[in-house]
Amino acid sequence: MPRSSDTIAALATPAGTSALALVRVSGPDTAGFAQDIFGAPPPPRHALHADYRAKDGRLVDDVVATFFPAGNSFTGEDSLEISCHGNPFIAQTILEDLFARGGRPAGPGEFTQRAFLNGRMDLSQAEAVMDLIHARSERALAAANQQLRGGLGRRLNDLTERLLGALARIEAYIDFPDEDLPKEDRAIVRRTLESLAAETERLLATSHYGELLRDGIKTVIIGAPNAGKSSLLNRLVGHERAIVSAEPGTTRDFIEERIIVGPHCLRLIDTAGLNPAPGSIEKLGMDKSLERAAEADLILLVLDATTALPTLPEFLAKLLSTDRTLVALNKSDLLKSESFDLEIYSNLRSVSISALTGAGIDPLITEITRMVDFFQPTGQDDVIAINARHADALTRAKVSLQAALANLAASGPVELLASDLRGTLAAYGDILGKVDNERMLDQLFATFCIGK
Amino acid sequence: MIYNELPFDVIVCGAGHAGVEAALAASRMGASTLLLSGNIDTIAQMSCNPAIGGQAKGQMVRELDALGGEMAITTDVTGIQFRLLNESKGPAVQAPRAQCDKKAYQFRLKHTLELQPNLQIFQATVTGLLYKAGKVVGCQTNLDIDFLGQTVVVTTGTFLRGLMHIGQNKNEGGRLGDFSAKSLSSSLTEAGIQLERLKTGTPPRLLGRSIDFSKMEEQKGDLQPTFFAFHDTRGPEEMFHVEQSGERRIGWAPGSEQVSCWMTHTTAQTAEIVRANLSKSAMYSGEIVGVGPRYCPSIEDKFVRFADKPRHLLFLEPEGRSTNEYYVNGLSTSLPFDVQLDLVHSIPGLERAQLLRPAYAVEYDFAHPTQLFPSLESKNVENLFFAGQINGTSGYEEAAVQGLVAGVNAVNKVRVTAPMLIQRNEGYIGVLIDDLVTKGTREPYRMFTSRAEYRLLFNHGSAEFRFLDHAKTYNLLSNNRIKNIEAKQAKVTHWVDYLEKNRSTGGTWADAIRRDRVGAVLPDELIRESAPVRDEVVYRVSYQGYLAREQRQVEKLSQIEKIRIPADFDYPAVRGLRRESSLKLAEFKPMTLGQASRISGVNPADISILMVLIGAEAGRGRDAS
Ligand SMILES: Cc1cc2nc3c(=O)[nH]c(=O)nc-3n(C[C@H](O)[C@H](O)[C@H](O)COP(=O)(O)OP(=O)(O)OC[C@H]3O[C@@H](n4cnc5c(N)ncnc54)[C@H](O)[C@@H]3O)c2cc1C
Ligand SMILES: Nc1nc2c(ncn2[C@@H]2O[C@H](COP(=O)(O)OP(=O)(O)O)[C@@H](O)[C@H]2O)c(=O)[nH]1
Ligand SMILES: [Mg+2]
Repeated sequence: MPRSSDTIAALATPAGTSALALVRVSGPDTAGFAQDIFGAPPPPRHALHADYRAKDGRLVDDVVATFFPAGNSFTGEDSLEISCHGNPFIAQTILEDLFARGGRPAGPGEFTQRAFLNGRMDLSQAEAVMDLIHARSERALAAANQQLRGGLGRRLNDLTERLLGALARIEAYIDFPDEDLPKEDRAIVRRTLESLAAETERLLATSHYGELLRDGIKTVIIGAPNAGKSSLLNRLVGHERAIVSAEPGTTRDFIEERIIVGPHCLRLIDTAGLNPAPGSIEKLGMDKSLERAAEADLILLVLDATTALPTLPEFLAKLLSTDRTLVALNKSDLLKSESFDLEIYSNLRSVSISALTGAGIDPLITEITRMVDFFQPTGQDDVIAINARHADALTRAKVSLQAALANLAASGPVELLASDLRGTLAAYGDILGKVDNERMLDQLFATFCIGK
Repeated sequence: MIYNELPFDVIVCGAGHAGVEAALAASRMGASTLLLSGNIDTIAQMSCNPAIGGQAKGQMVRELDALGGEMAITTDVTGIQFRLLNESKGPAVQAPRAQCDKKAYQFRLKHTLELQPNLQIFQATVTGLLYKAGKVVGCQTNLDIDFLGQTVVVTTGTFLRGLMHIGQNKNEGGRLGDFSAKSLSSSLTEAGIQLERLKTGTPPRLLGRSIDFSKMEEQKGDLQPTFFAFHDTRGPEEMFHVEQSGERRIGWAPGSEQVSCWMTHTTAQTAEIVRANLSKSAMYSGEIVGVGPRYCPSIEDKFVRFADKPRHLLFLEPEGRSTNEYYVNGLSTSLPFDVQLDLVHSIPGLERAQLLRPAYAVEYDFAHPTQLFPSLESKNVENLFFAGQINGTSGYEEAAVQGLVAGVNAVNKVRVTAPMLIQRNEGYIGVLIDDLVTKGTREPYRMFTSRAEYRLLFNHGSAEFRFLDHAKTYNLLSNNRIKNIEAKQAKVTHWVDYLEKNRSTGGTWADAIRRDRVGAVLPDELIRESAPVRDEVVYRVSYQGYLAREQRQVEKLSQIEKIRIPADFDYPAVRGLRRESSLKLAEFKPMTLGQASRISGVNPADISILMVLIGAEAGRGRDAS
């Protein structure tokens, strides 16, 4: 049996949140990937505790990695197991990074398949795994179908149809040089490709695992000076897993930290206190706080339960909608009585906490999670959540569209242009299912009169 | 009577383009072969236009030549005009095309067949097949002579229940002036083979001296003709080896004395005539049930579907050197004869043209090619092979390549050796057969380069390299030619490597070629190599990135292409296979996992499961032995 030529990667543990997630990598490039990611070749069959660094150098997570050289691994090929924290965002980032390095998403049961083909499994084991492949693929299929019936499928079908139109315009001149075709119009093709590239890019940008992962859910902490905003931030960072900042060393007006809360990634932003009667410098900081609050996905309003409630600027009060504001009633440790009158904020959800002792932080997290669960990625007209596999395919589609456009600009060979467009088609097809060449021919023969 | 008690190894029914290649391939492999045809005066007749090649088809003819087929060389020596299509585009999409002397082509091939050892030709119409225990064992003919054969290759083209239409006029026949094979259809259906109707058409033929060519634009052949056969790897003895036996076949020096084609166009008046008479067209009046191709619309189709196109281009193609007959490319129709006359006379230069033969449409039976294995053997009836138009294709080249594959595999069947299976990634022949047997077709199937995923790897110049393994395995070329191909390949490999590794000005030679494209300077020694070697080297170097990408894709898929599925594989017994897939697979009986993966409705998880199981059975087999 010939050795596999490519390297595959996939999440080995079920998707969702668990304490740990296992990403499995197998194939000839595994050792090279590991070397690049961890800076040194991993010792065989030894659990290595190391920082996972993405291709652009940024730290993703501290992980436990184990390298299994060919012959002794599950698949019989060079393989790597990366055990990271069980947040899907982290696992997805790692997968995206592996794909960016040249790995590809593993097909259903592909690890098992390789294991079997390399003689690492006997028939009864293989049969047991087959049941699993079946069950899993059914589930994956159901999930995928659901997604494709929605916005993504519609959008991609539209892109595919337009791409086929452009391709038909190219192929007609390749396959029917002897026909009486109208003068070739590459401008139409170029315009189509440009719009396809832009839309593919936009689809990529809606990626749940892209944008939200890169940026996190913007969570702005506001409140009067000394209410305990910074203390709360530190408490949350200490309590939850913080993600080390993406851009270390950049100066920022605000303290910013990322934490993982349940399946979500929060970008916590501390702000200057909101002083009802500010001095001029404070005023400046306050305006910025207000700006921040206006862009926030989620606002954590910290109130000092031991003092009179501050009167907030009218502008801010308007921002405090119930679906994205949570009141943290701080310094509960100093409070004698349990009851507290929230007065004007009584319509908002609130949790009583102590940033000092940590009391009430768990309920606060639960409340945050519940709220964020309702969030959808922002921006687009209709909501499209794409996963890492989709992002991988769309990235390939984008790259080949760009190559095609460069070829057009340089008036390069038309068969290479076609080759790039077929690459794009195949990439769309990886999401939608393979696109039959008949569909291109349908468009071709509908557009051009060809015959003897 | 029974003609022979000792069966032939191979009987080929029908001497069209498919039948001829099948018979030659089988007999050249040393099998005793019988070629039966209803009329041996029409051996290898071009039913439609007098041209071979063109886009995708031209590449296929070169591939056929690389497998020892006869079409390429016959075209070269009976061609009267040669043109390389897409000359301004890259080598992968360049294709040779030739006008042939129709009669010379036919006579030459007939003569070639007559001189071929192990081959017997006989004129008879096959009326039915003889079956025994689910296998074919021979055929019956209209002369009440039965012929016994271990294998039978059916290559009956458009003749099965052929019905021709000219307006309301109907005539039975596979081609104008020819017969219709009627009882063979029912003999096939009785064996469980499903037939359906397709339709194609052909334009009128005109008398040259009644044409005013001064009103037309001339289209000349290339000054430097591109040929179909690989002359550089053939010794002179190979081109003329039959002549050495004392016979002289018709033919001339390839590319000599080329003739011209002529271009004219339809007029507003043509459009008017067509529109006014649309209801009289056999195609529009509902006379025809068979499905015609999307790509070959009749003139009535053109005016209806492309109503805003004011005129349509027409080519007048000479049918030969020794005839004054012209073919009107672009004017296919099933309108009544009187309308055809008006139609022709509305065209500049054809005002006084005389029709020698009318245009007509023909309907015929074809057998769904999904009923075949990729070896072209029937899944229903063992030892029975199908090739050519009967498989739903259209075109001489498409027919010829299938003929060769069926001929070779009939011999393999007799000898109980593995069939020659040509993969999609090897060339257009592979794409054609794979499309036919896994996807089937609803219209007459014609090859386009866009059907191939790896088009860039299929440049016509590389055909011999791509098919070398098959040629060697099945002994399809002379030892001398194999040696020459291997030497040529070594040179190409050497030079590609040399150019990539050695420095010229500002980078390697290869860099310079990729940068300067056509104007690039080459090392002197490479310039002294033959043009085919040089061209291939420059192609591989200049398209290196793209070729490597396609090559990688091929390699990625080649693993599953090589995994054979046992013929008796029990799909319903497979745990975990979805019912839908299981039914489809049981029906299609794919030969390889690669083929299985292309069947619609079979998903990757199904393939994973099969892969594991098939691997397991192979493993068990090993344990047992
Ligand atoms: C009207 C018409 C229009 C066409 N138009 C086009 C076109 O536009 N483009 C294109 O690419 N191709 C066209 N073709 C198709 C092209 O001619 C065929 O694809 C090609 O010739 C098929 O080759 P074949 O060997 O399969 O069959 P054919 O060339 O049809 O040869 C069949 C042979 O079998 C013999 N035969 C048939 N039945 C029997 C029998 N029962 N017993 C013994 N011998 C038998 C016949 O005598 C004949 O010699 C057209 C064909 C026709 C008739
Ligand atoms: N007792 C008590 N003190 C707190 C609590 N949270 C904050 N503090 C104190 O309140 C003061 C202001 O806190 P800080 O976080 O800097 O407030 P900020 O201005 O809103 O950022 C500090 O002295 C903290 O130690 C709490 O929950 N309980
Ligand atoms: Mg502070």
